[in-house]
Amino acid sequence: MPQTKVLLVDDEIEFASALAERLQLRNYDVKVGHTAIEAMGFIHQFMPDVVVLDLKIPGMDGLETLKTIKKLDPTIEVIMLTGHGDVLSVEEGMKSGAFEYIMKPIDIGELTSKIDKAKKKRINA
Amino acid sequence: MENENEEDLKALQLRFVGKIIAGFTHEIKNYLAIIKESSGLIGDMIKMGKLSENDVPEYLEIIQSIEDQIGNAIEHFTHLNRFSHRMDTQISAFNLNECIEELIALLNRFARQKKIVLATDFQQDLPPVKSNPSMLQLLVFSFLENKIAGLEKNGRITVRTGAVDNAVAVKIIPEGTFAEGDADAGTTTGKIRENFIKQLGGNISQGAAKETVITLPVHGV
Amino acid sequence: MRPEDTIKQNVIAFLHNLFHPHDYWRVLGADRYTSLKIRIILLDAILSLLPLFIVVTISYFWFQQILKDDFKNQLKWELENTKQSIEFFLEERLSMLRFTTSAYTYEQLSDQKTLSDIFTKFKREFPGLVDFGVIDADGIQRTYSGPYRLAGSDYSDQTWFNEIVIRSSNLSDVFTGFRKIPHFAIAVKREAPDKGTFWILRATIDMKTLQKYASAVNIRENDDVFIINREGVLQTPSRFHGNVLEQYKENFAFSEDSVSIKEVGQSKGKCDMCGYAPIKNTPWVLVAVIRSSPYAKIPNIFRNELFFITIISVFFSIAVTIVLVQTVVNRIKKADQEREAAIAETEHAGKMASIGRLAAGVAHEINNPLAIINEKAGLMKDLLEGSRDMQQNREKFLSLISGIFDSVNRCRTVTHRLLGFSRRMDVSHDMIDINVALKEVIGFLEKEIIYRNIRLDLDLKKDLPRVVTDKGQVQQVFLNIINNAIDAVEEGGLIQISSYSKDEHFVRVSIKDNGSGIPRDKLKHIFEPFYTTKGKGKGTGLGLSISYGIVQRLGGSIHVESEVTKGTTFFVDIPIRSETV
Repeated sequence: MPQTKVLLVDDEIEFASALAERLQLRNYDVKVGHTAIEAMGFIHQFMPDVVVLDLKIPGMDGLETLKTIKKLDPTIEVIMLTGHGDVLSVEEGMKSGAFEYIMKPIDIGELTSKIDKAKKKRINA
Repeated sequence: MENENEEDLKALQLRFVGKIIAGFTHEIKNYLAIIKESSGLIGDMIKMGKLSENDVPEYLEIIQSIEDQIGNAIEHFTHLNRFSHRMDTQISAFNLNECIEELIALLNRFARQKKIVLATDFQQDLPPVKSNPSMLQLLVFSFLENKIAGLEKNGRITVRTGAVDNAVAVKIIPEGTFAEGDADAGTTTGKIRENFIKQLGGNISQGAAKETVITLPVHGV
Repeated sequence: MRPEDTIKQNVIAFLHNLFHPHDYWRVLGADRYTSLKIRIILLDAILSLLPLFIVVTISYFWFQQILKDDFKNQLKWELENTKQSIEFFLEERLSMLRFTTSAYTYEQLSDQKTLSDIFTKFKREFPGLVDFGVIDADGIQRTYSGPYRLAGSDYSDQTWFNEIVIRSSNLSDVFTGFRKIPHFAIAVKREAPDKGTFWILRATIDMKTLQKYASAVNIRENDDVFIINREGVLQTPSRFHGNVLEQYKENFAFSEDSVSIKEVGQSKGKCDMCGYAPIKNTPWVLVAVIRSSPYAKIPNIFRNELFFITIISVFFSIAVTIVLVQTVVNRIKKADQEREAAIAETEHAGKMASIGRLAAGVAHEINNPLAIINEKAGLMKDLLEGSRDMQQNREKFLSLISGIFDSVNRCRTVTHRLLGFSRRMDVSHDMIDINVALKEVIGFLEKEIIYRNIRLDLDLKKDLPRVVTDKGQVQQVFLNIINNAIDAVEEGGLIQISSYSKDEHFVRVSIKDNGSGIPRDKLKHIFEPFYTTKGKGKGTGLGLSISYGIVQRLGGSIHVESEVTKGTTFFVDIPIRSETV
C-alpha cells in the first residue's frame, strides 16, 4: 500500500519538524509548510492525501486556508490542529468542511488513527 | 452600606481570580520544572555515556514522566479554561461535580500553602443544574477561604456533594483545630452571602463543627 | 544669605504651605476636602475683609485727625479771643491814662486831692485799678493815690522808668515790688515841651484782672491757662506749672504775629497741645497747656459703633462664605466620589472581563511550547522503540533535549506575566497575629540591635485580635520603621514597641525611639518620596513613602509624633477586617 501523503502546516518550526519526523517513523510521507503560501505551493506540487492544518498560521488565516484547499480539491481531507481554547474555531472549521480536529499537545496515536480514517474516506470518495 | 457591600464583593472576586491564576501558574511552573529536570537527566545520562541497551528502559521511563507532566499541565489548563468560560457565560446547565472538581483543582495549591488538604466526596449521578456555576464557585471559595485562614496547619477540608429533593447540596466540612476567634470571621460579610442566595435561590446554613452547607435548587435561575 | 533672601524664602514657604498643605494635612490625617474648604474660606475672608479693615482703620484715624484739628482750631480761636480781650482791656486802660494826662496838667495832678478824686472816679469805672501815681522826670513819685504809702518813692533806677524815658508808654511785667502782692503797672509819659521835661502818670492794676481773662479760656481738669512774659516768668498763677513770678519750665517757641498751637508729643499717646498767644504791645504771652484730649472721647463712641458694625459684617461675610464653600466643595466631593466609583467600577469590570481573554492568550502561548515538548519526547520514544542503539541516537537525543529546554524557557515568560497579573488582582489575605509578625521582624534585626547596645522594650498586648491582611507587606513596613528607629538612637538608646487594639476596627502598633527627634518643619515631609535626612549614600529616602503607600492600600494609616531631643513615635494602624483599597 502506498504511503499516505501528509502535508503538515504549522508555524511552530520545532513542533512541526519533530512531529514530521515521528510521522515518518510511522511510515507516512510528510512535507512541512510553515505559512499558508507554502501550504498552497505544496498542495500543487506534492498533492497530499491529508492536510494537518494549524488554525493559527500567519498570512492567510487558518480557516481561510481550509476553505481554499477544499475549493481547490474537495477530496483532500483536512485535520485541524487547535489549542485548548479554540472551541469556536473548531466549530467553524467543521462547518467549512474539515474532517476532524485534534488538540495540541497531540497524542500521536490519535493523530495517526485520524489520518488513516481520512485517507480511507478519500479513497472511497 | 450598599457601597461597602459592592466593595467587599469586588474584593472577593479579585482575590478569588488572583488566587486561581496564581495557583494555576505555579502548578504549570512545577510541571515545567519537572520536565526540565527530566530532560536534563537524559542529557546527563547520554553525556555520561550510558548508551547501552540496558539503559534504554530507564530512558523510556524518564520520557514517560515528561509526557505525564505535559498531560498534567494540559489537564490543569483545561480546568482554567472551563473556569474562565463559566465566568464569561454566567448562566448555564452544568455538572455540579465537574464544577466543584475544577474549583478544588485550581485551589489546591492555595490550600497546600497552608498545609491543608482539600478532598472531595462526590455523589454520582447528580442531576444537571441550571444556575450560575461561576457564582457558586465564588461562594464556595469564600467559605473555603475563611476556613483555610482559620484552621491550624495540617488540617483538612472535605467538599461533599449530594442531592436533596429538587436541589443539590455542597457541604464544606473542615477537620482540624481552629485558631482563636471565629472560623467564619473573615472577609466575606453575611450580606454578600445573602446576595448570592437572592440571585441563585437556595440556602446557606452553618452546621455543627463549623460545617457549611449550600443548597442550590436544580432549576435555580 | 542676605536678609531679603531669607524673608523671600519664608514668604514663599508660607504661601506654598497655604496652597499645598496636603503633606501637612496628610500627616495629621485630615480629609483633603476639609482642608480645601478651610483654605478657600481663609483666602476669601482675607481678600474680602482686608479692604474692609483698611478702610475702617483709615476712616478711624482720619476722623480722629479731623476732630483733633477741630479742637485745635477751637483752642486757637479761644486764645485769639482772649488775647484780643486782654489787648482791648489794656488799650482801654492806656487810653484812660492818656486822656487823663491830656485833660489835666502836671500841676493839677500834683495836687493830692485832685488826683485822689480822679482816682476814686476811675476806680469806680475800672475795677482792678489799685493806685495812681504821678512821677516826675527824676523818677520821684510826686503824688500818689492808693492803698499804700508810696509817695516819694524813687523809681529812677527801675527798668520801666528807663524804658518809658525812651518810649511814650510802658506796660510792666507783673511784680510784687514794694507792695508784696502781684500786679502790673501801666505808665504814660507826658511831654512838657515848654518846660523841656516830662512827667509820668502811672496806674497799677491788680493781676487778678489778667487772671480773670486767662481763666475765661474754656479748659478742662488737666489743662492749664496762664500768662507768662517773654522770659518765661509767670504773670498769673497756674494750676500745674508754678505760681506767679516762678519760671515756666517748659520750652516754648512762638511766632509774634499769630496764635500758634504746637503739639508736644507725650507718652501714652496723649497729646500735649500748647497754645501760645503773644499779646501785642505787652511783654506777655498767653499760654494754654492742654493735656486732656476731649477729641479722643468722641471717637470712642464712634469706635464702638464701628467695631460693632465691623464684627457683624465679618460674621455675616464669613457665614455666607462658609455656606457657599460647603455647598460647592461638597458637590465637588460628591462628583469626585462618583467619578472615582465609576472608574473603580470600570476597572473592576475590565479586570473581570480580561479573564476570558487571558485564558485564550494563555492557551496559545503555553500550548505551543507544550506541544513541542510533547513531540520531541514522543520522537525520542519512537527512536528508542525503533532502535535500541543509543550510540546512534546520541546526537539526535541531545539536540532534542536542547529543543525541550528552549520550549520550557518559552513558557517562562508566560508564567511570569500570569503571576504579575494575579498579583495585581489579589492582595494577599492572611489572617495573621501582628505580634508574631513583629517578633519575626525584630528577630531579623536582632543582631543590629545588640551590636549597637540598644535597649528594646516590648509591650505587646496578649490576645490581640487576629488581623486579615498581607503579612509580607505589613512586615516590610515594620522593618522599615524599626530600622529608622535604630538609626535614630545610635548607641545605647531605647526603642519601645507596643501593640494594642486601638478600637473595634483597628490594631495599633507604636514604635517609639528616644533619638534626637524630628523638627516640626521636617515632620510634614518625611513621608515624601526621596526625602531623607541621612547623608549621601545612606538610604534612598523611599522607605517611609513606600510604607505609607502600603499601609494606605491595606486600609490603615500611619502617623508620626516627634519632639526634638526627646524622640519620635510612629503609629501604624491596621484594620482588623481588610477594607477594599
